[in-house]
Amino acid sequence: MSITGKFDVVVVGAGPAGSAAAYILAKAGFKVLVVERGRGAGSKELFGGKVYAQPLRDIWPDLDKSAPIHRWVTKERFSLVVGERVLTVEYSSPRPVGFTTYLPELAKWMADKAVEAGALLIDEVRVDEIVVKDGRVIGVRSGGDLVEADVVVDAEGVNRLLLEKLGLVERLDPKHIALGVKEVLRTGKGVIEEKLGLGKDEGMAWMVAGDITAGIPGGGFIYTMKDMISIGLVLHVGKAVEAAEKGLLREHVSLLLEKFRLHPYFKRIWGEADIMEYGGHLTIEGGLGLVPKKLAINGLVVVGDAAGLLLNTGYTVRGVDFAATSGRLAAEAIIEAFNNGGPSEENLRVYEDKLKSSFVWRELVRHRGIERVMSDPLFFTKLPRLLIGVMKRLYEADYEEPTILDAFIESTSEEDISLARLLFKLGSVVGKL
Amino acid sequence: MSQETLLTRPLKIEDLLQRNIYDVDEDPHIEIPRGSEQEGLPKEALVYLCPAGCYTRIGDEILFSYEGCVECGLCRIISPPDKIRWEYPKSGRGVQYRFT
Repeated sequence: MSITGKFDVVVVGAGPAGSAAAYILAKAGFKVLVVERGRGAGSKELFGGKVYAQPLRDIWPDLDKSAPIHRWVTKERFSLVVGERVLTVEYSSPRPVGFTTYLPELAKWMADKAVEAGALLIDEVRVDEIVVKDGRVIGVRSGGDLVEADVVVDAEGVNRLLLEKLGLVERLDPKHIALGVKEVLRTGKGVIEEKLGLGKDEGMAWMVAGDITAGIPGGGFIYTMKDMISIGLVLHVGKAVEAAEKGLLREHVSLLLEKFRLHPYFKRIWGEADIMEYGGHLTIEGGLGLVPKKLAINGLVVVGDAAGLLLNTGYTVRGVDFAATSGRLAAEAIIEAFNNGGPSEENLRVYEDKLKSSFVWRELVRHRGIERVMSDPLFFTKLPRLLIGVMKRLYEADYEEPTILDAFIESTSEEDISLARLLFKLGSVVGKL
Repeated sequence: MSQETLLTRPLKIEDLLQRNIYDVDEDPHIEIPRGSEQEGLPKEALVYLCPAGCYTRIGDEILFSYEGCVECGLCRIISPPDKIRWEYPKSGRGVQYRFT
């Protein structure tokens, strides 16, 4: 890759975590190289659609002025779907905390910030190995080229090829991983405002649960961009593989997504909007299951998705702000390490302390176990059926409608749900939600 | 394609992938074995879950083509490590996302 000289820090991956770390280190005067495998930063990025703003403002105070913000999320919706029956809850607020964007755009903005601060970014270079010598990380290798650095920041993303090779993590366990598939639909701008009752810069984040995932734990999402709508499905990989191998999944995952696009309740929003892009990406199911035992070793720190830092509660997803924050904390720890004699494991593990006393860690611990809730059929299949069943009894009676209690009792018995078991389960998870 | 088709029936995976920009590498970045060597691969899961539909079933065998790959890594994590060679494409090749 014809890069000569030694760097203070080499960052692998120009995503939110890598670029946040590079930006802070470069601003502090460090000689930083960011190596990105894609063509420009962001070209391999795919996410749902919404970013929490405040943790990003802590890093880039001019976020609101210069970041590619599409819409501020003033409306959140949650829907349960069984067949053509849909139950939707909407929350509207004048105080948005998150915005929608395309991650390729936002990642490019973040990388540009790092470059403006003095970091060197080289793209189209795939790092093949993190190089260790005499018990410490000394740099990275791409093909036959070695780039040396005092510290390597691993921001390689959810597929931890480098960390696996290094022996720092096990192969990804499908039970901790979800597959996201996404379509971006060009609606034109007026359509979004009109169909969803939004103001000019107002946006919506919409989570969907129910039978759109064909019995596989997971759900759907809808996010409004400037003049496009992103829709997608997220499926628990472990359970999806099980279903496919047992012959219970007989449709390609893209067909499930297409059926979601064509669902009678949802399709009237985007109508005949053209599909501009289609993609897929792995994501972390949630919980702390993918956090490496060590987040820092001699000469190396791990940030972002590679560090297993993502939260999916079913009604919100946080990944970009966690990633960027972990990058910031890693950079701060590296700066301190250099001030205290160098990037030894002991000094770099200050990053772990910082992370563990941050909101990122507190959020993950607070919702620990949520991934088990999300993959429990009682919640993702039976609960939607139960609630839709109640609604059906209340609103679809020609002459006599039951009391709410009777509707509830009839619906639980039709869905073969034990009310006692449901209440017990709800009680046991309510503290994790 | 007429607008009517977009609303009346689901697009096939080939048509969805047409929406994307790729710069396909001349060398495959993923390889799986052929024939009886495929024993142990989760064939149904690969066929139905690979978001780019890179895996298709022909009788007992699965055929793999990497051209539409979106580099998600799913096939790598669900296959036995000795049955798949998986790298990211080199030199910035592969899918070029814009709106995701």
